[in-house]
Amino acid sequence: MKITPIIGIEVHIELQTKSKMFCSCSASHFQVEPNTHTCPVCLGLPGALPVPNQTACDYCIKLGLALGCSINRETFFERKNYFYPDLPKSYQITQLQQPFCIHGQVILDGHTIRINRAHMEEDTGKSVHQHLNGVDATLLDYNRSGVPLVEIVSEPDILSPEMAKDYLLKIQQIVRYIGVSDADIEKGSMRCEPTVNLKIETDNQTFYTPLVEIKNIASLTGVQNAIQFEIDRQTEAFTQTHEVKSAANKTTRGWDAVKNQTFLQRQKEGSADYRYFPEPDIPPIVLTDEHIENLKNSIPELPDQKIARYQRDFGLNNYDAGLLASDINFAAGFDTAVGQHPSPQMAKFVANLFLGAIKTYLNESQTQLDIAQINPDFFNNLFQSVTNSQISATVAKQVIVDSLKTGQDPVAIATSKGLIQVSDSEEIKKLAQAVIDQNPKAVQDYKKNPASIGFLIGQLMKASQGSANPQIAKETLEKLLQ
Amino acid sequence: MSSLNQLTLTQAVDGIKSKKFSASELVQDCFDRIKKLEPHLNAFISLDKTTALAKAQKIDFDKPLAGIPIAVKDNFCIKGIKTTASSNLLKNYTAQYTATVVSKLEDAGAIIIGKNNMDAWAHGSSTETSDFGPSKNPWNFDYLPGGSSGGSAAAIAADEAIAAIGTETAGSIRQPSAWCGVVGLKPTYGRVSRYGIIAMASSMDCPGPITKTVDDAALILSLISGHDIHDATSLPQKSLNLNLSKKDLKGLKIGLPKAYLPDNIHPAVKDLILQAAQTLKSLGAQIIDLDVLDPQLSVAAYTVLQRSEVSSNLGRYTGIRYGGPRSEFGDEAVRRIMLGTHTLSSGYYDAYYLQAQKVRTLIINDFEHQFNQVDAIIGPTSPTTALPVGSSKGESMFGEMADLLVEPSTLAGLPGISLPCGFVDGLPVGLQIITPQLREDLALNIAHLFESNTDFHLQKPKL
Repeated sequence: MKITPIIGIEVHIELQTKSKMFCSCSASHFQVEPNTHTCPVCLGLPGALPVPNQTACDYCIKLGLALGCSINRETFFERKNYFYPDLPKSYQITQLQQPFCIHGQVILDGHTIRINRAHMEEDTGKSVHQHLNGVDATLLDYNRSGVPLVEIVSEPDILSPEMAKDYLLKIQQIVRYIGVSDADIEKGSMRCEPTVNLKIETDNQTFYTPLVEIKNIASLTGVQNAIQFEIDRQTEAFTQTHEVKSAANKTTRGWDAVKNQTFLQRQKEGSADYRYFPEPDIPPIVLTDEHIENLKNSIPELPDQKIARYQRDFGLNNYDAGLLASDINFAAGFDTAVGQHPSPQMAKFVANLFLGAIKTYLNESQTQLDIAQINPDFFNNLFQSVTNSQISATVAKQVIVDSLKTGQDPVAIATSKGLIQVSDSEEIKKLAQAVIDQNPKAVQDYKKNPASIGFLIGQLMKASQGSANPQIAKETLEKLLQ
Repeated sequence: MSSLNQLTLTQAVDGIKSKKFSASELVQDCFDRIKKLEPHLNAFISLDKTTALAKAQKIDFDKPLAGIPIAVKDNFCIKGIKTTASSNLLKNYTAQYTATVVSKLEDAGAIIIGKNNMDAWAHGSSTETSDFGPSKNPWNFDYLPGGSSGGSAAAIAADEAIAAIGTETAGSIRQPSAWCGVVGLKPTYGRVSRYGIIAMASSMDCPGPITKTVDDAALILSLISGHDIHDATSLPQKSLNLNLSKKDLKGLKIGLPKAYLPDNIHPAVKDLILQAAQTLKSLGAQIIDLDVLDPQLSVAAYTVLQRSEVSSNLGRYTGIRYGGPRSEFGDEAVRRIMLGTHTLSSGYYDAYYLQAQKVRTLIINDFEHQFNQVDAIIGPTSPTTALPVGSSKGESMFGEMADLLVEPSTLAGLPGISLPCGFVDGLPVGLQIITPQLREDLALNIAHLFESNTDFHLQKPKL
């Protein structure tokens, strides 16, 4: 029996616009006092009308472009009619027939995951279930009602829980790169609903298990665990029931992160009838090529492009390039630090600093890199000093962090701390003679075993307070001991 | 001098500005009239005499409608005021904000004296579907005023207010205006903001004035029109220049569609429309017979589209908010919700909603074609005069038949005006004039010339 998981994911990204999708209320709602960011429009009061937020539409299109989508030049909004207490108009304004963005893709290690669409819609309010005054109550908070959402629907091209995680990380990274949302799964600004079933090949026959959509997942680990659970559950269910996919047996299951299992939420009797029709309150939207071109030009270099460039131009390996590009701010810091047209040696040197000392410092101090503090001249000076042996690689790591903290030239810091390597042979000769005079036993050891010169070098370095060029120190000692 | 409440809007504006009388006197006079007639007419759902009189005490004479008592249909939200759309379900609903049109009128100095009765949710052409009892026709209390802005038209015909604001989805301004013998103007869709009006069918809803003269309608339209940032369907537009200065209709081609004088039309109504055409001809217009699409097609398309939108718009009245439970929806609303839910449901959408939208496009194209030949189109506003109280009971297509001749232009978003053109058995008959989109100026000029050369608008019901 060969089992292949078939996974598609619907991702909702909450756009971080100032105002909501169809009114001028503030779109911020995380930890905001309930029902304080509301107005007739997002409360769905009689007579109120939606006016689309141009910035939100532009963000949606930018995101679509960053995902390689084509943009529909003529689009319109539609009403999706259904009842839910936190849906104040009893319809959600969304896009069905002509979404802003269609047919994109994300590539993960050479495997393409097709994106069916990315469309614009509005968020619902929030139902808060509470025990209140002795009764179980559902409270409604409409702060989230009308917050702009982009829904990204993938094709079922994802083959494993790990790939699902990588796909989501990629989406998250792209969203953060173009700056339209913080895409934080824990805070709910990025939400993931995988649909999972299995292709089962056995005895020269192929079966497809019923589709299951999983809701209520609040973390990346949750996504992986929920998908893995479904794969196992469906495998077992199939061996027992042999039930296969039909138009009528798609179900919705919730994810219980505590019990680490999915549970049946809704049995769909055929497909729900949302009675979609074009939203009469909003005229159709016609996008010009010029507008789309402008949006395209406003998209920064994306992670995949950056990684390719770092490999191509700087000779970095895929792993290091990927680490540098993981966060747009960090990558921007690196790009600033290397300056215009650096040599591959210089770029590698700076990359090592970023992936080593600087990353460690940022992690330990839990700070964000301040691009304004990055001076490419400093990095260049440091690189030159290390190249001509004035500064050791170890000292470079130390002073670059000090430089970031203080805004001073790292070479100047090294100088003031006396960390410049001494390459002056007379000076080193004096130190070497002193070390030989003070360590007769070590000198005897050396005579028996030349490999033991390390001790004497160490003593010399110590005497120079680390400033001696170790290579010259070694050569000088060897000369004197001949 | 006749009593103050009988003044037209322009007369009342002049009178207050020239201090012939005070705003307080005018407002008081309207309330006296209301007190006398409301037991018979039931044209108002709510009145606010105290506030109105207080406002009349301190008016700004520089404003164009300084101190003018105006009535608005009860589907306009006014902050702090009960706004029911004549429905039981909203009988305790107090609006939380004010409709753009009402704000514009108040900014222009108008005093809102009360809110008019209507068909519940604007579903009807009789005012009989009002959950608070029907309004009556001032010309004969045994007859209906039409609807859905029936209360507004009745109030103006009976001089209970100087002017009124109604809404029309298809006929709801023009048809009651015709039946009550007043002027009703339905502007181009998008000319006037819909923000704050309880939605009926969003792609066609349109607010407009109901007045005693064409001049009055022009004045109100100039004040309430304009782009509104709260209504994405309101058109970017220049301010309206509604100078009704045409001296004659020379060079103008006016079409009279044969289909607008169908076999089942009341013969006396048909005669009056033909006479009106003669009047326009005598003013210099060329009257041209037109072959237009059968209005029955519009009725079919309109019915599907309107019900579809209604079913979605009324979805929010779930019983959780706004007070009343869904069981308080009247029969007409329930019928429309059910039909509209059906026409949008999967498997039926293509056959009904989508097909109706295609027909709508054909109707728009047909009007474009007609307007290549003529400058304006005329016809009866309604095939009949006012019908007796009780006529709409059990007739679920009553409104569609009463509005047969206004539904085509509604579907095309065109402006149209209805004005008095005669009487049959003591009941008024309305002439409608339809022009291309955003050509309210032309419709008003033609109407104004017709009015200036006839005296139907000067006749008043004996009350």
